[in-house]
Amino acid sequence: MSLRFFAAQLAGKALEWFLRSVIHRGTNKPGEIALRLCPDALARYQMPPLVICVTGTNGKTSTSNLITHLLRKAGMTVANNSKGSNMANGLVTTLCANSTMGGRVRTDVVVLEVDERSSQYIYKYFTPTYILCTNLFRDSIKRNGHSEFIFDKIQNYIPNGTTMVLNANDAISGMLGKNTNPQIFYGVHQTARSTETCINHVCDILACPNCHNPLQFRYFHYHHIGDPYCSYCGFQMPEPSYFADTVNFEEGTFVFHDADGQKATLPFASGNLFNVFNVTAAATICRLAKAPLSLIEKETAHFSAKLGRFEEESIGRYHLVNMLFKNQNPISGSQCLSYLDTIPGKKDVILLVTDSKDSVHGHEDISWLYDTDFEMLNREEIGRIIVGGTRCYDVGLRLALAGIEPQKIALYPNYEEMTQHLLADLTGAETIAVFFELYATSVVNSVKETLAQGGNGHENH
Amino acid sequence: MKTIKIEVLYPEFNNLYGDRGNLLYLTQKLAACDVKIQVIATHLHDVPAFTQQDDIHFLLIGPCTERQQELELEQLIPLKEAFQKRIESGAVTLATGNAFELFGEYIQRENGEKISAIGLFPYYAQRFEKLRYNELCVGTLGDLKITGFKNQLSHSYGTLASPMLTMEVGSGWNPDVKKEGVHIHNFFATYLIGPILPLNPTFTDRLVELLAGDAYHPLELPFEKKAYECRVHELEDLNHSISH
Repeated sequence: MSLRFFAAQLAGKALEWFLRSVIHRGTNKPGEIALRLCPDALARYQMPPLVICVTGTNGKTSTSNLITHLLRKAGMTVANNSKGSNMANGLVTTLCANSTMGGRVRTDVVVLEVDERSSQYIYKYFTPTYILCTNLFRDSIKRNGHSEFIFDKIQNYIPNGTTMVLNANDAISGMLGKNTNPQIFYGVHQTARSTETCINHVCDILACPNCHNPLQFRYFHYHHIGDPYCSYCGFQMPEPSYFADTVNFEEGTFVFHDADGQKATLPFASGNLFNVFNVTAAATICRLAKAPLSLIEKETAHFSAKLGRFEEESIGRYHLVNMLFKNQNPISGSQCLSYLDTIPGKKDVILLVTDSKDSVHGHEDISWLYDTDFEMLNREEIGRIIVGGTRCYDVGLRLALAGIEPQKIALYPNYEEMTQHLLADLTGAETIAVFFELYATSVVNSVKETLAQGGNGHENH
Repeated sequence: MKTIKIEVLYPEFNNLYGDRGNLLYLTQKLAACDVKIQVIATHLHDVPAFTQQDDIHFLLIGPCTERQQELELEQLIPLKEAFQKRIESGAVTLATGNAFELFGEYIQRENGEKISAIGLFPYYAQRFEKLRYNELCVGTLGDLKITGFKNQLSHSYGTLASPMLTMEVGSGWNPDVKKEGVHIHNFFATYLIGPILPLNPTFTDRLVELLAGDAYHPLELPFEKKAYECRVHELEDLNHSISH
């Protein structure tokens, strides 16, 4: 063992102990310090025989958390970076805390969520048993450019010998892996909500990856996730050996089939097909790790409730639904907006979706507004759409182009002004849906306070 | 009633950054005029309509990925003369993002390999690896101010005989200069990406007037003016605070 690595382990462990025991806070600092002392620290850990990396545009956190939960319940010890970042410093923090001074990882399994763009700084140091890629979509432009750029970021750094676990419904991420990488596919069969044409604006693959003629789809789940094929050259996705069918959206269940032909009924959260994919991916990995299907069935049910991205609460006479709208990510945004359809009755909507932190610096690129399906808000049962933030006028124009009547739209560049007018702006609908980006949580709190003060049965006009 | 024909080149590729917003906005503006609108979507292996018909009033080419750009060039290089004829005829063309690079002489990959481009103008693009280049910009086009974004893996160099924009905020076609794009007759090419038309109502109004001619009726869509003014002012303020 090198002196540098020893120093890195010592410093990382000491700092981790201090942060955990004295300050009671986990950060990525231990890994950051360790990497400064030993830049190739990731290469120096002796990994257990099973190392699982989870990457992809959407669903990697939910999926890796579920995998960790299931494997632990199956009796394995698992090191997992759910409390830290998904970049090199977070990975080193996790491995440092779970290893001996010499760098031997003490757990049976390592499950790491890995940021797509960090692949080049991670996979060159160790060879994961499995890399699970949930999907690849366009994402925040500034960081991710386009999905081909991210595809290359992963593809160029996949180590020889790693088995790729891939989404058979995704003709972008489903192409990952080289000749030296075995591929295992999972997928979700057609459901009652599948469509013949893509109902979303964004479909990230429209041409055949082989011959570049227009790609056809037997059905779409959402965006480009579906069953693509090419009638010109015969291209199609492989049949998944692990798959979901019989998706019941009302009950929130589906039937999972493994490669041995066994099946189990698994639950998924929020009636959202996204979560069927996440649970199917996690169940696939856990079956590959030899966790019994009966245990996966039982424990997924216990875990599933935590998988939602939204919270509901009653404030006075209002039914408030809060949904996190991943910053500048049109796919996550469109999925959030589509959830509104499942809530019955009249609604008012509050949009805090443009980057409140970015706009302080005047830096937000708002191209993503035109990739997001704001048309879903063009519904009679939506009485008012209140938009807060510096870029509110741009959102307003986007809503108008989606066919929404301007008199339904209230725009406030200033959040305080928005909350001051909030009670007057609401139309009296029972449900208020708040879509907010990560940095706007404080604004959501002032919305809640305002509703609590004014929402006790009095009309405030 | 006049029919305005809009050809969208390779929509299966050329829509990376909300670029579809351009067609959405343009058609709503045109709908206020006394015209019919026909949209033609041309796929990679189709023969572009503008090479066969003289009445394609508007040709729209958006940005694509680097590999797609090379596929498109295979199709477009033989159309050099048709593009030349189109530009000289005064028909309106808008090329955004890396579609600007299609009209230069070549695109150089990171490893030095050169990919031939259409060759209408004496410039070339140099790709770079690693991080993408992002920028918010405000530039002038005659008396108009144009705002937009850049997100690219390349810069351009060479001779810019007839640039489209002179940047007040942000840089030109490479970080060392302030000018970028091509504007000849009614051919507009710029590195700016995404929904450049809804972001720039005054520029769009000029285009709509060009397209509709006598049938032009101005239409101001809700919030468009305020959104545009806010963006321009903020970016100019930002520039001011950086330069001091």
